[in-house]
Amino acid sequence: MSIALRGVTKQFGEYAAVENIDLDVATGALMALLGPSGSGKTTLLRIIGGLETPDEGQVLFDGQDATLWPIGDRKVGFVFQQYALFRHMTVFENVAFGLKVKRRRERPAAADIRKKVQDLLALVQLSWARDRFPAQLSGGQRQRVALARAMAIDPQVLLLDEPFGALDSQVRHELRRWLRRLHDELHFTSIIVTHDQQEAIEVADTVVVLNRGRIEQVGIPGEIYDMPKSAFVHRFLGQVNELPVLFRDGRAYVGPIDISAAAEVQTGSTKNIALIRPHEIEIGPAASGWPATVVAVRVIGPIVRLDLCAAGQPIHEPLEAEISNERFEAERFSIGQKVGLRFRRWQVYPDAA
Amino acid sequence: MGRLLLIVTALLFLGLFLVLPLLAVFAQALAKGFGAYYIAISQPMAWAAVKLTLLVAGIAVPLNLIFGVAAAWAVAKFDFRGKSALITLIDLPFAVSPVIAGMIFILVFGTHGWFGGFLRAHHIRVVFAVPGIVLATIFVTFPFIARELIPVMQAQGKDDEETALSLGATGWQTFWRVTLPNIRWGLLYGVLLCNARAMGEFGAVSVVSGHIRGVTNTMPLHVEILYNEYNYTAAFAVASLLALLALLTLAGKSILEWRQPELRHAARRPRDRTRRVNT
Repeated sequence: MSIALRGVTKQFGEYAAVENIDLDVATGALMALLGPSGSGKTTLLRIIGGLETPDEGQVLFDGQDATLWPIGDRKVGFVFQQYALFRHMTVFENVAFGLKVKRRRERPAAADIRKKVQDLLALVQLSWARDRFPAQLSGGQRQRVALARAMAIDPQVLLLDEPFGALDSQVRHELRRWLRRLHDELHFTSIIVTHDQQEAIEVADTVVVLNRGRIEQVGIPGEIYDMPKSAFVHRFLGQVNELPVLFRDGRAYVGPIDISAAAEVQTGSTKNIALIRPHEIEIGPAASGWPATVVAVRVIGPIVRLDLCAAGQPIHEPLEAEISNERFEAERFSIGQKVGLRFRRWQVYPDAA
Repeated sequence: MGRLLLIVTALLFLGLFLVLPLLAVFAQALAKGFGAYYIAISQPMAWAAVKLTLLVAGIAVPLNLIFGVAAAWAVAKFDFRGKSALITLIDLPFAVSPVIAGMIFILVFGTHGWFGGFLRAHHIRVVFAVPGIVLATIFVTFPFIARELIPVMQAQGKDDEETALSLGATGWQTFWRVTLPNIRWGLLYGVLLCNARAMGEFGAVSVVSGHIRGVTNTMPLHVEILYNEYNYTAAFAVASLLALLALLTLAGKSILEWRQPELRHAARRPRDRTRRVNT
């Protein structure tokens, strides 16, 4: 099922949670709504699912106006961060719930319900847990039960609200990959809300970055990461070094480095900043660029992070650079060493702050 | 060492202020033997008091059950104007002395009260009759269930209900199959407290009852009358029945929990949520 939002606005008192949102979700897509807390991503999800009614605008399901459809009629599967499993029911009863509450005419026979629940439990690899209570399961297992329960009603759309937020990173990583495989096998439309940019990039086809109730950018994960349209998106999608841009004689500089070449420099009254990701900083011999001193070295598996204090920069705000472990093994940078910096890439934005 | 001291202190305190008085009640009731005890509690007036007490509790507790669940539901699951006023009002009976609660009903429904003329004209007796006792009891006991449920329901949030609705359950199904099981222990505890207070209420009921023997005397009132007549054995015999009712309700609760260990396991464990306020 395709979903479209047209001019959706929702206020909570004076506070506009989402403002004039237009968004299209294609049938079978896996879209991530990404943003910090307070960006409106959960509100948007709840409006699509029918848990909130927008003040203005429309929600279209396959082109039909579904704005005021009651939640039970939407065929939407919900998965919450805190699982929301029914604690007094076994795993089996949890998954069967959506089938058992159907009107008598539509309710499948008991044997069919049992068959379907067993299939779903097999799908989420929890057949062994059918008679357990949620309290007896781990977080990852509970979330898989919640997913099976949501899928029992054959939803056209799966809505996931920070589904892996309460899990530790290992389990999280596994579940993400598993969700992605499941989505590819079953072809429903999925929308996942997350504040974790890595999760969004790893799992989704399309990432929507939200900020203060508005859409900042929509794109495929690589595009969002490499070609952010605003400083907000640039900052939100990963580590960045922020440096002021200085103008001299019609050219733009960051420290002593001339960045006029690639930047569309807006000379004039506005202040500009350059955003440079850690892996976009090149470290060379002392005389080769912006003079800097290595002040910290951290080896993190395949990558090595260096803190660099560049000449003319405040000492307590070192730049962060990332190099591969192989490179580090070859060059052996040590604390106190003098190096020269260059930038492989950068982007310049007007400084809003 | 410190732990031992704490446990001993707690046990001593419990023994001195709870167990000892309870034992004293039964000891005094049985002071003249089982025969005297039996005669005391089989007096028609005593039986009338027991029946009236059960009737009053039987009306007040279900009504407060409905009110308590509705109020807790409204407070915990919805935002609306006047919510904080509602929470404050629920606590009113805790703040007001029961005697004043009784006086309010005299003022409103008494012969010279606001509705006195109207009630007299229609031959309806409220004050110094059973309806007055029921009203006073409802007033005094209405915070118990709501107060017990509000924190439970607030802690549980709306996720379970929203999930049930999204799975196609009706509001009614959601209430019976999801909300009620989630709050069952809090609800049971609230009902027990409410019932204990409803049966034991003295002050408010004393004001509106009129102390008509065999007609408007509840058990606590009957105990007082017997006591004032220096009929100690009978007074303590009836008092021991009240105490017995209280012990029975507590035992009932324990048995319920013991018989359903997996439910206790599931219901008692506070949900491992660090609730995140989200948009």
